[in-house]
Order: sequence, then structure tokens, then C-alpha cells
Amino acid sequence: MEGLRWRSILAVLGVAAAIVWVVPNVVNLGDKWWPSKQKLNYGLDIQGGLHLVMGVDVDGVVKESVTRLIASMKQEMTKEQIAMSDIKSEHPEQGELTIHVTQAADKAGVEKFLSEKYGTVLQVIGTTDTAVTARYFDAYLNDYKNRVIQQAIETIRNRIDEFGVAEPSISRQGSNRILIQLPGMADAEKAKQLINTTAKLDFMIVSHEKTPQELQAMIAEAEKAGNYNMTTMKYSEYVTRLNEDLKGKLPEKTVVYFEKSANATTMEAGAVPYLLRTDTGLGGDALDDAYVGYDQYQVPQVSLAFNSAGANKFADLTGSNVGKQMAIVLDKVVKSAPSIRDRIAGGHAVITLGGSRDRNQMMEEAKMISTALRAGALPASLEQLEERRVGPTLGADAIGKAKMGSYVGAAIIVIFMMLYYRSMGAVASVALGLNVLSIFALLTSFGATLTLPGIAGIALTVGFAVDANVLINERIREELRLGHGIKVAIKEGYHRAMSAIIDANVTTAATAVVLLYFGTGPVRGFAVTLLIGIVTSMFANVFVSKVIVDLMVYKFNFKKISV
Amino acid sequence: MSIKNDSFGRFDFVGKAWLFGGISLFLVIASLIYLAIHGINYGIDFKGGTEIQVKFEKGVTIDEVRKAVEGLKLGEVGVQSFGEGNEFIVRFQGRQGATDKETNEILNADITKIRETINTTFAASNPDIRRVDTVGPQVGAELKRNGVLAVFYCLLVILIYVALRFDYKFAPGAVLCLFHDAVITLAVFVMVGKEVNVSILAAIMTLIGFSLNDTIVVFDRIRETEGHFHDKGFGFVINRSINEMLVRTLITSGTTFISALCLYIFADGTVQDIAFAICVGIFFGTYSSIYVAAPLVLVMEKMSLKKAKA
Repeated sequence: MEGLRWRSILAVLGVAAAIVWVVPNVVNLGDKWWPSKQKLNYGLDIQGGLHLVMGVDVDGVVKESVTRLIASMKQEMTKEQIAMSDIKSEHPEQGELTIHVTQAADKAGVEKFLSEKYGTVLQVIGTTDTAVTARYFDAYLNDYKNRVIQQAIETIRNRIDEFGVAEPSISRQGSNRILIQLPGMADAEKAKQLINTTAKLDFMIVSHEKTPQELQAMIAEAEKAGNYNMTTMKYSEYVTRLNEDLKGKLPEKTVVYFEKSANATTMEAGAVPYLLRTDTGLGGDALDDAYVGYDQYQVPQVSLAFNSAGANKFADLTGSNVGKQMAIVLDKVVKSAPSIRDRIAGGHAVITLGGSRDRNQMMEEAKMISTALRAGALPASLEQLEERRVGPTLGADAIGKAKMGSYVGAAIIVIFMMLYYRSMGAVASVALGLNVLSIFALLTSFGATLTLPGIAGIALTVGFAVDANVLINERIREELRLGHGIKVAIKEGYHRAMSAIIDANVTTAATAVVLLYFGTGPVRGFAVTLLIGIVTSMFANVFVSKVIVDLMVYKFNFKKISV
Repeated sequence: MSIKNDSFGRFDFVGKAWLFGGISLFLVIASLIYLAIHGINYGIDFKGGTEIQVKFEKGVTIDEVRKAVEGLKLGEVGVQSFGEGNEFIVRFQGRQGATDKETNEILNADITKIRETINTTFAASNPDIRRVDTVGPQVGAELKRNGVLAVFYCLLVILIYVALRFDYKFAPGAVLCLFHDAVITLAVFVMVGKEVNVSILAAIMTLIGFSLNDTIVVFDRIRETEGHFHDKGFGFVINRSINEMLVRTLITSGTTFISALCLYIFADGTVQDIAFAICVGIFFGTYSSIYVAAPLVLVMEKMSLKKAKA
């Protein structure tokens, strides 16, 4: 039999790979060596958790930014003495504004101003006798909207981090939605509340009335006295408690907040305490915008633009604190604390990133700081669109019952196949077992998520995968009846059943792909298992079963196989 | 199935085509009328609203739960018992606020109220709130639109595939068949008082795939048989093909049906509903691929012959 050896090797390799992937799910390997340690993910409907879809009011932010742009434009035009009567916007949410002039002759000046000052941001889209209408470039507007979503995601991530949820997933969905998945979340109400509050940004002057050593000693003492630390409670509650405990010990009008590197929960691990003055009175409402810019050497830096009220305050604050550090504090977390070199007037400031690090790191930091700043300056309001909360007992119950149903169904099918097709039925049953094994192996290796409908999908695949064997066995019976020998019958049976098998799989795959595209959450899990089931049934129920039968006939010289 | 060379087999399917065609037509029209009058019972996925599933350790009657939540005056609140009788689903639409944001706030407050009421009123029965699902109206509308699109694209892909893979005369039979299966299944589903959610839509689409597969296997055989028995007439060819594939069709449908039936018996909630839809659908799908699809091919063939003569 040509190629039987190679096909056997391939089948064995395939099954071995499947076993390698499945084993970590069944056996607790601990520290033992094993090629793959990936485990199957369970959906929130099984392990319990909170699934939230939040809508981000992107249009609202664009609208607000246009309003601010109009205000600063008016100032600049007055300053540069460019004639115009008013600036208005009929469609602020589309990033559009119209500059009105009293006479047509003034239009040239307005257009010149626009192209000189805002040439990279605004394009003139139409003029009338007394007005010039401009709009954000599409690319700029899209980029802007993306940044809004990004900053909303960052803000949410910040807050979720507090809960120390094992694997929070916060991802963008569509153009203006954020999907938040928190597995095993017991404190759902609190989490929702936190997510729903808007970000608070503060600029605070770093106080050096206590040395870092003194500060750390005081914190350590308070933690010891109250027997708590950042690991045992949520960060926001922790800082509130800490500052209450330190009241009287700290200088007047100061608080302690921390700068935290990722997942740092102790001072040793990188949570750096800052003593901050609370009397600066400069917050997110003073800031218009913040973005990543570059200096003349193309080194990334963060540019800040304050509104007019903010600009004055900022000038005073920097003027009276030259040489000190100004901390950027978002939701009580210190994001950065640059030093003030000089009094900064005019409302435009730049944060340079010190140190001689590589460009990528600097870029990352610049992005992080500007996102934090924008989150406070232009907080996007969030709206809860969908919430699904599953308690841990429900999922455990449901998966147990679904598993039971699947086992019983599979057992009945195996018994039937053995009784009806005898030896070939046994081959089909072995193939079925391998099929299920392969489904779990592929699910694990893809890092796919197993949902309850997904389990239904696997159970149905079991019933359906047998179809290939039924088609083949019926064909073999027909060939035998025509008087062919067992070798010819098997060869023809497999060969001629193929077109029907492929048809069957293509049609199921087509519906599964459509489901995958339009479905959400658990339904996608269902579609994924259906698709994987198709692939594995081609492998197990067709390819491997043929190898087994060929081995029986050619290698072990079975003269007869009962069908 | 052993069939002698010159016989079309044991059962004369084509001869009874008119009878079963009539029954099918009646069932489809009855289903459509039922769905039109009764309406589809949409679940919160499509309608929006909130569902709270609560399980009590000790016996609490449905009336007690209903009384407790109705006392809160949150508009129309439905209570349904679930599982083994000590588990309930509380459903409500949520009251409208002036803005979407306000609606959401009211909704969140209402959910909290219901939770608290259940937890305090039935504290002695150890309530366990196991699931809270809320779908906003925007998402509901979108899910509905996506669902309709999904079914549409699914049918379109199938139509194209069948037309490419076989002859144009096979395509209408296949698609009408699927329509037949989907509509009847949906009607049965609504008739037993179950709610249509996204996962049920997924089940019905899967069903479309399964049912089509049966139909296509028969078509495949028709094409093969047509070559051998061209002189015996198309009716003979169809009869012989269906008879030859009958065992296969019944076994495959049977095994998938068993899988779904076991899930229906043992599982609960979403999985049970999916299994129910599949069970019903497989039953009608198998029937339709035997009695409806193939005879429709014959009708198409006759029509095209008439056209050719005229």
C-alpha cells in the first residue's frame, strides 16, 4: 500500500501532538517538564465573572475639543489682529467650525491664518461670501478618536488594576466601545462604580519637608501599627487610610501618594511614595490637551496646552516653585514628576524625559504621560451598554450538567456504532475519541475560550463527526455487495464517500464562519468549536480511521472486516 | 440499502411528493401565521432589559418572589421558575430616563434594589444570586440587526455554494428546504414558550448547516445516479438516490439527534435551549431533505423542460 508508512507516522505524530496539548488540562504538572504548559481558557459563563460593554462618548470629546479650539482661536486671532466677526460650529461633533467675517475681503486673512497656524490639523472645506468653514483632516480626526478610546481604556485599566483581578481583559470593540471582562469578580458593584467614575487629574508640587527616608519610615510604621499594606486592600482605600493615619505627622496641606511600577504593591517592589502639596489648585480642568511631541533632535517629549485660566495659574505656580518637582497625579497615582526649570507663561509647556534610555522606552513613557494627562483633561464619559454577571456556582453547575449530557450522548453513539457496524464501528469509535482529543488540543493551542455553547458545539460535533464514518461504511457495504474484495471495497468506499464528506463540512463551515463574524461572546465560542470540530473530524474520522483500516488489512492481513 | 439494478428501491418518495409537499406547505404557512400573530418571544439579547437568576436553598414559592419584587414598583416585572423549582429568573425592562445615561443609572439602582430585597426578604432561605444580565436598548437593536444579517449571509453563501457545486435546478430546493426547517423550528420554539436569544439564533443557523448537509448528500447521489439511469426518467433517479441514502441520512441525523437530546435532558439554561432547537430542527430537517428537497428538484426539472418545449 503506497504511502501507508508515511501516513501512519503522520497519524501518530498528530495524535501525539494532541496528547501533548491536552495533558496540562487534565494532569497537574506542577514544575515537571512538558513541551506545552498552556491550559484551556474557560469563558466567563463557566468560571463566573463580570462582562461589561461600555460605550465611549467619542463625539462628546470631539465636540468639547472643537469648543476649546474655537476659544483659543478667537484669542489668537484677536492678538494677531485678524479681522473676523465670530467663530461658531454647527457640527462640533464632526470637528467642524466656521469663521464668520463681515466683508469678503477679510476671508483671505482668515485663510492665511488657518493654513499658517493650523495647516496640519484643519482643512478648509468650503467658503461663502462671509464665512470660511474648516474641518479636522480625516486622518487627524480618526487618530484623535482612537486616542480618546485608548485613554478611556487606560483609565479603566488603571482602576481595574486596583482589584488585582487575575486576568482582566479590556479591549476595544468596534469604533467606540470597550469590552471589559473580569473573571471571577465577586465585587461587581464596586468595580462598575469605579469604572463609571471619571478620571481626576491633579498637578501637585512635590514637598521636601520630609526626606524620602523619613517618609518611608513613617509609612512603614503606620502600616505596621494598623496591620495593613497595599497588597491586602485596594489602592484607593489604602492611600485614604494611610493619609488618615499619618494626619498630624505630615506637614500641613500635604498628602502621600505613590508612583507605581506595574503590579508593584510594596515600597521595595517599586511603589515610590511622594509627599505632595494639596494647595496648588491646578487640575484637569485647566488643561486643554496633551500630546507626544519631539524636540529638535527628534527626541520624544510631552507637550501640554493649558486653557487661558489654566495658563495664568500654571505660570504663577511654576514661577513660585522653580527647581521643585511638579507631580502629575491621575486618580491618586503619581504618573510622573518632572522638575520645574523656569516660570512657564503662555500656557504651553513641555515635559522632557530625562535619562539616557533608548528611544522606544522614552516613546512609551511619553505616550503613558500624555494619555494620563488627556484622561484628566478631556475625560470621555462612559455609558454602560451591556452587562453580564455570572456567579461562580452557576458556571460550575452548568458545565457539570453539560458534560454529563455530552458523555451520555457519546456513549450511546459509540454503543450504536459498535453494534451496527461491528469492526468498522469500533474503528469509528476510536476515531471519535481521537476527534474529541484533537478538539481540546486545538482549542488549547489556539488559546481559544471554551464557553457553554462551545460545549454544546463539541457534543454536536461528536454526533455529526460520525457522519463521515457512516458515509464511508455505507459505501464499503455497497462495494462489498457488488462483489468486490475487502481491499477494493475499503479503497473505493473511502474514495467515493469523500465528495459527500467535503460537501457536508463546507456547508457547516460556512454557517460557522458567518456566526464567527456576526456573533458575540459565547456564540463565537460555539462557532469556534464547530469549526475546529470540522478540521479534527477530517483528521480523526477520515484520515486516521483510514490509516487504522489500512493497517489492519495490509499490515496485519485481516481477510475480513465486519461492516 | 441493497437495491436491485432496475428498481428504484423500497419506498416511492416521489409518488407521494404531492402529499408531503402539501403537508410541508401547510406547516410552513401555519408557522408563519402563528409567528405573525403571536410574535416572536425575544429574550433580553434582542429586546434589552435585565434578567436576574436567583437560587434558594429552601423552598420559596414563585408567588412569594413575585410579591417581593412587585412591591418595589419598578414597572413590569416578570418572575419565572427555573430548573428544579427552587430557582427563579426575575425579568424587567427597566424604566426610561430622560437621557440614556439616566436610564442606565435608574437601571443600576433598580438592580441593586432587587438584589437587596431578595437578600433581605428571603435571608432565611439562603438566596444565591447566580447571574445578572443587562442589555441596553442600543445593543439589543444592534444584536437584532446582526442576527438578521447573519441569517441572510448564511443563506446567500449556501445558495451560491449549491449553485456552483451542483446545477441551478438544485439551489431553490435546497434553500426552500432550509427556510422550511428554520421557520417550523422557530414556530415550535416560540410555541413551547421559550425565548429567542442570540444563542438560539446560532442554533438555528447551525441547523441550517446540518440540514443542508443532508440535502446535499442526497443531491450528490442524484447526480451520480443520473449518469447510470438517465433513460429511466428523473423521478426514478430521485427515488433511487433517496432510497440509497436513506440509511445514512437516518443514522447521521439519529446520532446528532441523540447528542442534542442528551444535552437537552441533562443540561439546563442556554445549552438546553440550544439542544432543544437542534432536536426539533433535526427532526424537520431530516424529513425535509427526504420528502421536500428532492421532489422540489423534480418540479424545477419539469418547469425547465416545459420552458424548453415552449
